[in-house]
Amino acid sequence: MPSERFVIPIGPQHPALKEPGHFEFSVEGERVTGATVRLGYAHRGIEKACEERNWVQSLYLLERICGICSHIHTTAYCLGVERLAGVEVPPRAQAIRVLIAELERVHSHLLWLGVAAHEAGFDTLFMYSWRDRETVMDVLEGLTGNRVNYSANVLGGVKYDLDEARAETIRKGVDYLEARTYYYLELVVHDPVFVQRTRGIGTVTREQAEWLGLVGPAARASNVARDLRVESPYAAYDLFPVQMVLETAGDLEARVSVRLKELFESYRVIRTILDKLPTGEIKGRMPKKVREGETVSRVEAPRGELFYFIKSNGTDKAERVKVRTPTLCNLAPMMTLAIGHQLADMPMLLAGVDPCFSCNDRSIVVRNAQEAETRWTWEQLRRYGIEVYKCKR
Amino acid sequence: MKITTMLGDVLRSLLRPNSTQQYPAERQPDPERLRGKLVWNGEKCTGCALCVKECPALAIELITLDKAAKRFVMRYHIYRCTFCAQCVENCRFGCLQMSNTDWELAAADKSAFTVYYGKEHDIEMARSAQAASTKPEPAEG
Amino acid sequence: MQAVIALLIFPGGLCVLLLGLAYEWLDRKLMAQMQNRVGPRWYQPVADLVKLLAKQETMPNGVNPLLFIGLPLVGLASVLTAALYVPLVGLAPSYSFRGDLIVTIYLLGLLTFCMSLAGSNTLDRFSLMGALRALTQLFSYEVPFLLALLGPALAAGSWQIAEISAYAETHWLILTQPLGFVVALIGLMGKLELSPFDAPEAETEIVAGALTEYSGRGLALFHLSRDVALVVGLTLVAAFYLGGMANPLWFFGKTLLLLLVVSGLQALFARLRIDQTVGLWWRYGMLLVLLQWLLMIVWR
Repeated sequence: MPSERFVIPIGPQHPALKEPGHFEFSVEGERVTGATVRLGYAHRGIEKACEERNWVQSLYLLERICGICSHIHTTAYCLGVERLAGVEVPPRAQAIRVLIAELERVHSHLLWLGVAAHEAGFDTLFMYSWRDRETVMDVLEGLTGNRVNYSANVLGGVKYDLDEARAETIRKGVDYLEARTYYYLELVVHDPVFVQRTRGIGTVTREQAEWLGLVGPAARASNVARDLRVESPYAAYDLFPVQMVLETAGDLEARVSVRLKELFESYRVIRTILDKLPTGEIKGRMPKKVREGETVSRVEAPRGELFYFIKSNGTDKAERVKVRTPTLCNLAPMMTLAIGHQLADMPMLLAGVDPCFSCNDRSIVVRNAQEAETRWTWEQLRRYGIEVYKCKR
Repeated sequence: MKITTMLGDVLRSLLRPNSTQQYPAERQPDPERLRGKLVWNGEKCTGCALCVKECPALAIELITLDKAAKRFVMRYHIYRCTFCAQCVENCRFGCLQMSNTDWELAAADKSAFTVYYGKEHDIEMARSAQAASTKPEPAEG
Repeated sequence: MQAVIALLIFPGGLCVLLLGLAYEWLDRKLMAQMQNRVGPRWYQPVADLVKLLAKQETMPNGVNPLLFIGLPLVGLASVLTAALYVPLVGLAPSYSFRGDLIVTIYLLGLLTFCMSLAGSNTLDRFSLMGALRALTQLFSYEVPFLLALLGPALAAGSWQIAEISAYAETHWLILTQPLGFVVALIGLMGKLELSPFDAPEAETEIVAGALTEYSGRGLALFHLSRDVALVVGLTLVAAFYLGGMANPLWFFGKTLLLLLVVSGLQALFARLRIDQTVGLWWRYGMLLVLLQWLLMIVWR
């Protein structure tokens, strides 16, 4: 019998992956017997770069960690820095932050549905869900002026106010999307072929999910009550509470339906905010320098818990910004789950946690015990990067 | 086991026009808040340079010709701009705006990506001063 | 002279190739329309073909060059030969002999076989995986597909395509053998590796399957062969089940109707895993076609 392993590489360049990541699946026939992951292809040194920029400049850099959940990154950062600086953010600004975050969640989940359908070879669903996603993109463009990287957050508040005309556009968009989401939920639960590809695939029990440390919709699909919007409401989530959506099955189908059902919660919260938007200012006064201290800021990104550690040394620059994105928590468990599944299920299984590789890839320090630890400045890191790429060429 | 839900949608799509917008030929109105090219109107500028200090992409330079007479020239590097509008936020005198109509900024020539704003005479001065100084362009990236 | 023209230009050779490209475009356009997209322009398949023919062919290390170059040619030749035995454009088949139905079906099968061989000829892992899947799929749909096409032959009492087609002109076999029609049509989709039976070339898993290492002429020829196989297959099914092929009008009407159904089915389903494909054919396809045969025998 096969003594040599037959390895199927997926990535860094592969039609299934829209971003660079490298997976190796060793297979016996169609059955996967081993799986490894290698990350770091999209490392951009953002955390280090934050140490060279002032608080405001870092905001726009961090917004570009992820193209899909850009707003939630800046929200996490703003909340952290505002807490450090002791700035009071007006409730209206917080509500608008939540509003944009929920619209972003809608856009992210619909995008994900399309990607998952494409991985399953269901291109019609892919095209339809992305077509409908245009609605929420247009709404976001009308509200903030941009389709992605809205840059709606500033330290101390938000840039853009909401008026009645815009609220009406949002309401209309949400009504349309809600009807479509019902349709998709019906479809993914009942379509015989799609169900065959999702039901019972990659099942994670509740104990496993807790032990492996899944976050976000992937965890909620396994009946683990993990949602920061409910557990520790930030921004305006205490004013506009969210119900947690849980599924019990823990398989791919549950991950699909948890995301779609979450959308109904988002639509409800969006409508409530539009109806009961607090009045007042949208910006608080932000000092140039932030007093010394450190803080942890956690928010619920569309993919799960997003974690920011921010340390200030009392100047106008951050001493350290550390970001942990949800994909990192979710990707490793999937490698454990892959074993025993069919090769054809792998793209679906990976897509099931909605991986975002450029979110993932930031600084990694490989310590060599023999050498003294050295710290590089941003300039040294930049020079090193240029040298490496020159040599490769 | 429902195949019919999708069937209806597929058949309806077959009969109706597709939803692709043929962009250059077919245009949507520009959103009111769209952030396009930065426009500087220097009449009220005091030269505080708050816009320059907090620009995340180092895309703006404010060249001071005569601080007392309030003669400034703004050099704006479009190719570096991230269109975040932080400079617009920062300006207390409303000198900066982001155009919502001028957003198709592609050009075949690099010179189109550096824009000077200010009075014509001042721009000439700034340009010649720039040419005279041997200071090289700051590296990109 | 006439034989040469029939072989090279009409209705064989050039005409079949152009028909194949036209049907490919129509299939893609219909799919696009059902997915609410624009889809390709009318000349896109020709443009693709010209581009691929002009491209440099990279031959990977470790392949047998003879097979690498020869297999696309054999594949194309086999489907072009198959085209000579079917009533293309509503005309009588160019060549005909007793039992040409079996030859045609196996000439179509030869194309799949050539592709699998081309895949296993390289050392590329995606190609090997694709070849393995293509062969697995071949073994699953081939028997039900063959039996479904033999149903009309049994009814007509002949194994000659021209005679079955003539018999079908007076008997709409879709009414008497509906199960056989369904299996034949879906079997054709399996044969052409169309979605949902496109596991052998599932791009999100194994890139382009067996043809991953082909880049230039070889790929162009394989694509062309598949287009021709699409036309031949549609003609066969339409001639057998939809009331024959009396004239060009009927030919286009019936094959285009079938193409619309095939495109619709492609748009409706997610891709089946290879084990699900095999299960579907042996559990349901086979059962349906045997049931059809049983009914037919009882009817007699």
